[in-house]
Amino acid sequence: MDWFWPEGFYTIVMVGGFVFGAFALKLPIAVALSAAAVLGALVGGEWFPVRHIVEGMFGYLDTILIIATAMIFMKSVQRSGLLESLAAWVIRKFRRAPLMLSLGLIFIIMAPGMITGSSTAAVLTTGALVAPVLMKLGVDRIRTAAVIAMGAIYGMIAPPVNIPAMIIGGGIDMPYVGFALPLLVCTVPLAVFTALVLVYPSLKRRAGDEEELEEELRRMEATPLSVRLMLPVLLMAVLMTGEQLLPSVWPALGMPVIFLLASLSALVSGGRRFDFLDSSTEALDDAIPVLGILMGVGMFIQIMTLIGVQGFLVVSVLALPAWLMYLGIATSIPLFGAVSAFGAASVLGVPFLLALLGRNEIMVGSALSLIAGLGDLMPPTALAGIFAAQVVGEENYFKVLRVCSLHGVATAAWGIFVIAYANEIMGLLP
Amino acid sequence: MRIKGTPFTAIVLLLAAAGLAAIAGASFMAMWNDDLFVPAPGFEKKMLSDWFDGLSGSPADTPVYIQDGEAPGGTVLILGGTHPTEPASMVTATLFLERARVDRGRLIVIPQANLLGFTHNSPQEAHPQSISFATEDGGRRVFRYGSRLTNPIYEWPAPDIYIHPASGQQLPGKERGNINRCYPGIPDGSVTEQAAYAITELIKRERVDLSIDLHEASPEYPVVNAIVAHERSMELAAMTTMDLEMAGIPMRLEPSPKNLRGLTHREWGDYTDTMPVLMEAGNPVQGRLRGRTDERLALTGEDKAYVKAAALGRLYIPYDGDQRIEYRVGRHTASIMAFLENLELLFPDRGVRLEGIPTFDELQEKGVGAFLNPLKM
Amino acid sequence: MTLLYRAIVLFILLLTVRCQFRERDFWRQATAALVVVPLLLRLLMIK
Repeated sequence: MDWFWPEGFYTIVMVGGFVFGAFALKLPIAVALSAAAVLGALVGGEWFPVRHIVEGMFGYLDTILIIATAMIFMKSVQRSGLLESLAAWVIRKFRRAPLMLSLGLIFIIMAPGMITGSSTAAVLTTGALVAPVLMKLGVDRIRTAAVIAMGAIYGMIAPPVNIPAMIIGGGIDMPYVGFALPLLVCTVPLAVFTALVLVYPSLKRRAGDEEELEEELRRMEATPLSVRLMLPVLLMAVLMTGEQLLPSVWPALGMPVIFLLASLSALVSGGRRFDFLDSSTEALDDAIPVLGILMGVGMFIQIMTLIGVQGFLVVSVLALPAWLMYLGIATSIPLFGAVSAFGAASVLGVPFLLALLGRNEIMVGSALSLIAGLGDLMPPTALAGIFAAQVVGEENYFKVLRVCSLHGVATAAWGIFVIAYANEIMGLLP
Repeated sequence: MRIKGTPFTAIVLLLAAAGLAAIAGASFMAMWNDDLFVPAPGFEKKMLSDWFDGLSGSPADTPVYIQDGEAPGGTVLILGGTHPTEPASMVTATLFLERARVDRGRLIVIPQANLLGFTHNSPQEAHPQSISFATEDGGRRVFRYGSRLTNPIYEWPAPDIYIHPASGQQLPGKERGNINRCYPGIPDGSVTEQAAYAITELIKRERVDLSIDLHEASPEYPVVNAIVAHERSMELAAMTTMDLEMAGIPMRLEPSPKNLRGLTHREWGDYTDTMPVLMEAGNPVQGRLRGRTDERLALTGEDKAYVKAAALGRLYIPYDGDQRIEYRVGRHTASIMAFLENLELLFPDRGVRLEGIPTFDELQEKGVGAFLNPLKM
Repeated sequence: MTLLYRAIVLFILLLTVRCQFRERDFWRQATAALVVVPLLLRLLMIK
């Protein structure tokens, strides 16, 4: 009882308050989270701590800029006609090679995540480009969204840039060096698995309906694909890779600027004409529920930390008996990821890495970052799931998460396997 | 629960948001005011920009205090406030600033190395905005409790990845605001990199013999209750560690890792002729296992989550329920005094001798506040 | 660069407010209001 009281009670109040607000009162998730945070502060004897409530939001200020601008980019390339035109081109070119197409498409989804370290960036850029291709080739909407969400998460974890691994390493002063191969070990088998399970069967099955597809392709090509139409994507690719590959000479623009420049370039790419202000407003309108959730999560974490719930949770997990430790890692990190993958990496990833000292730390840190990446699938934030649903036009992102769950479990299992055999796997690497 | 939204409700909500922002904003801006220090007689106040022009007029320009002794000797730098979330660092430096009488050699004290870290708190850490101590005259001395990183309003936007200029080491972008990842610093870099550059310049130009960077670490972190020493300082640090062990202050000694770049114990040693050491005390309020987070925790270190973690064998310090600031400052103070003694022993011509510094036992008995000067003299 | 980012914050802030006024659901308006708070404080370089 001593250990449970009062922090365990606060935990129940905060989580219960959120569940009641979101499901019984049907408040938007952002509002329910904020209300639960305020409730936690009240019950914890902190009254209405305005400074803490507002300060918590700032943990995601940069994230909301990235999400808002990435959304603006997606709307721009959609309206200029590039999205459909490019999809039609890919379909014509690779329709006859389904295996290569399956693997190629998942790599394309992953690429922006690998370069930026952000799953949102992957979903809203190449995820949006790949979505129409997959759907036209017979992958259903929900599965398409699931592939995009999983690919984006694997991209976020794959090298060269993996921010959760940097956060976990930073917690024990381990430099981010030598992570490339371990991270490939963590992500490539899973990406191939996802492509083979979710994409390949549909592509292979797709036979008849050639006529209908041809008609559809011609409609999609209404705006003919040209190098000029590709300008936004090319510009984005150049700016992102330049920043990554030539950091000493390239200006560090940051993702929001890159996305905005690429969006603006859509205006002069010779595609369909569109009103930039109007498309940006629509982008924000789509993004605001997620931005609000992040603000709610920020408040929630700050209050959790303030009234002692964080320590209660972390130490409770560390107190699990050794045989439950792996299960604890596989469940608690993604669950905490419900508030944020980066937060889970910092709050739980670091203590677990410390608890696992003695095994190859780079391998263990890589695997922990992989499991932390699953946080982007965990509601209510579920950034990868929510945006993937939006990209395919699905209202209920829980349907997407249901398809992802098998792949999520496979990911956690693979992560645990890599941790358990960290030294042996490291020994096999060149 | 559906409620219809109208332009009127939008205006009401917007005003509410502005009101919330105004109240929080006033609280944030209150942290922009400088802390007050009452230096002991003999200290001369300079500014860090005196060693690097590029920093003059910059908000990162932090005070540097220098006291020359009667007898010639060496020069020692005590650097506090590298990470404002590690209060024993700034408080120990302040004790030396407010108590020391230098008999031999020269003492340089920088109480708040990353001044811009003191002007805000990190989001989602829920740290207190200040800590305070009761002084003997019944007054209070208040110091800001800030963030590990430079205030983002001076370091924004952070790059996605921070590439350490001297080595190419990659860190999360926000670490560019961590002055102890920026050394040796660059003159045309970010405001934090410039401050790091200025401190390196100071060490070079003042020919500092021994440079001590004070820190605290979370109890679950292996390098805690420890001295980290560059190759050049290793002999001195080993002697000091032995002295401390004999005095009943257990201390680990760690060599500065060669591949961990941007830190004082590595770069000061590689880029200047000084002997750098970094010291860590154990501080629950910065740990990830901590429970309720407030000023009390920062000062006492009493935390039931750490009691449980200690029982689980997760900690690298002996922890029986608290980790008081008197104890943490006492460790730092006793270690610095031991370093000075051994410096004179190893290098007789470069010794620095001080008086007026409370002993470890005096600090435990009377508390930190008893040794801070009242604000109105 | 900081000025450029402040301009981006202003742009996003104005779009958010625009959406808020077009929105016909009170709670979605409230969600937008939440987003306004940090954007406003960063625009003014207070936090």
